Amino acid sequence: MSQERLDPVTLSVLASALVGIAEEAGAVLIRGAYSSNIKERRDCSAALFDAGGRMVSQAEHIPVHLGAMPEAVAAVIARDPEPGDVFALNDPYTGGTHLPDLTLVAPMVYEDEVVGYAVTRAHHSDVGGMRPGSMPADSREIYQEGLVIPPTRLVRGGEPAHEAIELILANVRTPEVRRGDLRAQLAANRRAEERLTELMERRGADTVQTAMAEVIDYAERRTREALREMPDGTYEAGSEMEGDGVRDEDVPLCVKVTIADDELEVDFAGTSDQVPGNVNCPLSVTRSACYFALRVLLPADVPANAGTYAPLRIAAPEGSLVNARRPAAVVAGNVETSQRIADTVLLALAEALELPAQGQGTMNNLVIGGADWTYYETIGGGQGASAAGPGASGVHVGMSNTLNTPIEALELEYPLRVERYELAYGSGGAGEHRGGDGIERAVRVLEPAYLSLLSDRRRHAPQGARGGGAGRTGRNALGEDELAPKVGRELTPGELVTVRTPGGGGYGPPCC
Amino acid sequence: MAGARLGVDVGGTFTDLVALVDGELVTGKVPSTPEDQSRGVMAVVQRADVAAADVVAFAHGMTVATNALLERRGARTALVTTEGFRDVLEIARQNRPSLYDLTADRPPALIPRELRFCVRERMGPEGELEALEEGGVEEVVTALRAAEVEAVAVCLLFAFAHPEHEQAVGAALRDALPDVHVSLSSDVLPEFREYERFSTTTANAYLAPRLGAYLRSLAEQVQRASMPAPMVMQSSGGVVDMSVAAQLPAACVLSGPAGGVIGAAFAAAASGYEDVLSFDMGGTSTDVAPIRGGDAQTTTESVVAGVPLKLPMVDVHTVSAGGGSIAWADPGGALRVGPRSAGADPGPAAYDRGGEEPTVTDANLHLGYLEDGAQLGGEVRLRADRATPALERVGASLHLDASETALGIVAVADAEMVRALRVISVERGLDPRDFALVAFGGAGAMHACALAEELGIATVLVPKAGGVLSALGLAISDLRRDAVAPYRAELAGVDADKLGEAFAELEERAGEGLERPDFQRRADLRYRRQSFELIVDADDVDALGERFHAAHERRYGFRVDEEAIELVNLRLVTTVEVEKPPLREAAPAGGARAPSRRRANFDGAWTEVDVHARAAMGVGSQVRGPAIVELSQATCVVRPGWEGAVDEVGTLVLGSNP
Repeated sequence: MSQERLDPVTLSVLASALVGIAEEAGAVLIRGAYSSNIKERRDCSAALFDAGGRMVSQAEHIPVHLGAMPEAVAAVIARDPEPGDVFALNDPYTGGTHLPDLTLVAPMVYEDEVVGYAVTRAHHSDVGGMRPGSMPADSREIYQEGLVIPPTRLVRGGEPAHEAIELILANVRTPEVRRGDLRAQLAANRRAEERLTELMERRGADTVQTAMAEVIDYAERRTREALREMPDGTYEAGSEMEGDGVRDEDVPLCVKVTIADDELEVDFAGTSDQVPGNVNCPLSVTRSACYFALRVLLPADVPANAGTYAPLRIAAPEGSLVNARRPAAVVAGNVETSQRIADTVLLALAEALELPAQGQGTMNNLVIGGADWTYYETIGGGQGASAAGPGASGVHVGMSNTLNTPIEALELEYPLRVERYELAYGSGGAGEHRGGDGIERAVRVLEPAYLSLLSDRRRHAPQGARGGGAGRTGRNALGEDELAPKVGRELTPGELVTVRTPGGGGYGPPCC
Repeated sequence: MAGARLGVDVGGTFTDLVALVDGELVTGKVPSTPEDQSRGVMAVVQRADVAAADVVAFAHGMTVATNALLERRGARTALVTTEGFRDVLEIARQNRPSLYDLTADRPPALIPRELRFCVRERMGPEGELEALEEGGVEEVVTALRAAEVEAVAVCLLFAFAHPEHEQAVGAALRDALPDVHVSLSSDVLPEFREYERFSTTTANAYLAPRLGAYLRSLAEQVQRASMPAPMVMQSSGGVVDMSVAAQLPAACVLSGPAGGVIGAAFAAAASGYEDVLSFDMGGTSTDVAPIRGGDAQTTTESVVAGVPLKLPMVDVHTVSAGGGSIAWADPGGALRVGPRSAGADPGPAAYDRGGEEPTVTDANLHLGYLEDGAQLGGEVRLRADRATPALERVGASLHLDASETALGIVAVADAEMVRALRVISVERGLDPRDFALVAFGGAGAMHACALAEELGIATVLVPKAGGVLSALGLAISDLRRDAVAPYRAELAGVDADKLGEAFAELEERAGEGLERPDFQRRADLRYRRQSFELIVDADDVDALGERFHAAHERRYGFRVDEEAIELVNLRLVTTVEVEKPPLREAAPAGGARAPSRRRANFDGAWTEVDVHARAAMGVGSQVRGPAIVELSQATCVVRPGWEGAVDEVGTLVLGSNP
């Protein structure tokens, strides 16, 4: 397609409008959703793609969601979407990340032509499988983690595909909540299409499509320029996952990062083969984590879209921890291994670039579920300190940024009582600038329930930078008994689960 | 003689006065006095041509509370909270402010760790789980005394529904520390979700000593001047007695912007427009707000200076873009405007005070919308020969000449404004095409027609008092009190009589000491298991369900008729209406001057256009675009395709004629 270049003004105006559409769709999803996981914690994202399946703009909510979206759109395009269709998918091996993240992809149509795709992704707090909450600590294959949904029409030609919807709802533990959340997702996708249509009516479809292409080019130019300013070279780092949920042994992760002029390559050669447990990553998740690391290096005003990531190449051995093959279990890959990948890529680059110390490096996924309820929470911790100042305390770092569930909302909804929610004072690493402190959260169950806990950094601490001390490791406990980093078990009424999250690393040698 | 209604608004730069005397508008303006805002207030009052004896009402809007919050210069404040939950304020919602800037942190909590104290006790959803430990309260009293705090916020879990422990702690503190201000979360905001309730209550305690002292000092000065005690504008858009304001300062944080929206609503209604979007564009920031049926809309989701305040506030959306926003070419080859601002010093390049970078004002000057050589506030003179080279410098790298750059800057700034206006319209489920745009502030009327075109708005209103609209809003503001009470129940099972009793009880308390109060009953509702509520009118219990479904559909695009609805909170808005004097506009001055002419650029073409002096216009004076109208403190650009006239209340009403 030959396109005339847009002037710098039209480009700026339309770039702003395209981001505005994604943000409005994201707002509709959060507001309209039912579950506290989406509404209170905002564990969801929205983005616009062009007709060729390239990401144009996004509502920035959760880093791990957004980088992994292009695979979802490609999987849908391969199924010949028609106007009025809305596809759902969660299959990590066909465009998904882990099963709870349900992605809705809808072609946006203008004058009978597909002009782009609206995409929303939301973490549904139960999609069936062996454990309430669909975040089992001990799954060995994907089928145990929930219902696997390849790209499937929920809406066909504008009409709800009731059978597909009922099939999904028949396989989950909280169908009414799922139905509400899906409705909100559908409304958000619809809103994006309405707004794009309005924009095309005002500005002309050709102009808007040209703008989509140009904002992608623009982001690529900015990214390449930033990369060119970084020192060429190859930088290596290694790290590990603390157990895979089946065996409590370290799983090695190796990263070799090469900066060559305006290109960046991340090579995972030497990383462990895929493991029997569920810390495996489909390639889409590995890509998300690398995108995050790259995005951290760029100036804040560079937009995040397909162009931003065009200069990045990823070499991930097939069948490894970071490019797993079906039917490997993957539920913790998305929430835990992704953290470690991003951390380790940045650790390698710290040799060449000025970067902060490591943050807590885990999401501390806590799932407690009973007969007809599921409580899912991820818990913040310490951020790494930097040259600019101390690390933040009690925040999400890296690939997540979900909100907490208010204690009062939680206790009104679930048979649980929170006994402590405080900072773990002094858990941040020492240094000229201290690392941020972790959090201690203690929850007592009042009814029989099942606990799934997926966490990391319980043995290997977040590292300091430029002579700063390491953050304190986290700790999981049931009553007085220490629990493994990844653990699942039955709970009887009255038992107390305590999660203490890691502190961030310090920066610079501590003075005196 | 009806007596004069006085409104005095303290802004960042000027303190404005509006007095309404027999329908005539008397205005005044003096520089603000930030170190003690009351000096500016008294100065503008004394200068105004109004006899103290004639003043029947005096309403005041100020930034004392806002500034204390922004600058973190409130009182030394302590928190008393439930054992085990000392850091709720600091952890907040555990999200970081920037996804990719790993060095960013949230603003510090208003109360540092060492001033957060705990007591053993616990309430749960059903009531007491653990008794309040009496000895613990005594220990806290001792610690607070030693810490020499000026204020205390008492914030216990589940106090919104079960306030007994909070009340006991509060009584003990007030007893032991009579000079210390005490705020209870169950008084300030009896709603669930602990962080937002604690945050609001903490802000209240933090601000109370400062606002109290200010208001007492002002009251003394006003009394000496033999005028009635000032009423204070709250963020919700109504005024309250000084004593109420001093106890609930968190409700006064957006006092200033609220006055502007109320003023815009009043001026628009006087011209016959009840559904309008207010657009107040100044030098560094722009405020926009929706007004429906003549009423400013309120929200309970405001965050000010990083502090969530869940009290009802006029739904004002602020973007940090204005006439002083700086334009630049970014490394990717796009023309950008803001977020940096040249402020007042050095100001736009055209001020010739050392500013080298072009701003929106420079663009407007180059395009002929502002007059070359015009005086601003008597000090600064606009110089096009300074603006143009600055535009050329930025344009060079983009291969744009000065005029293209100027047009581009205006277009990019307008896009930002359009986005802000969409947030308060389309994102609220409102269609901007059903609204008129009320433009004020120094730059509002310069951009209004272009924004209206982009949003499909057919009418633009430019009130004569655009420079002092906040003060006008104060002068005509109703008295207002807001109350909320938790009421959790499935709507289907609600007993209308019991609900009526609960409302009646709220009304009895809220109406105390008021003459002929008017009550508006409202309720927070949601679908069962949803965790977000919508506020709907609750004057008719039977209509609640349908109203909620409709509101949900408007806001979120869908409704679920078969789903059960939950009632979460009852709200009561109590108002006492004041008589609104009519505004008047005189006939055009005799011997009407012919408009002057100057060259201006519209959409790339230079044309000679009429420049009207608003002072020479009067009822019925017409203008046809392209043209420019110069008001006393603002300039209105009438784009090609727009025309209109001054109406009988002095507002220039412009319509687009496609």
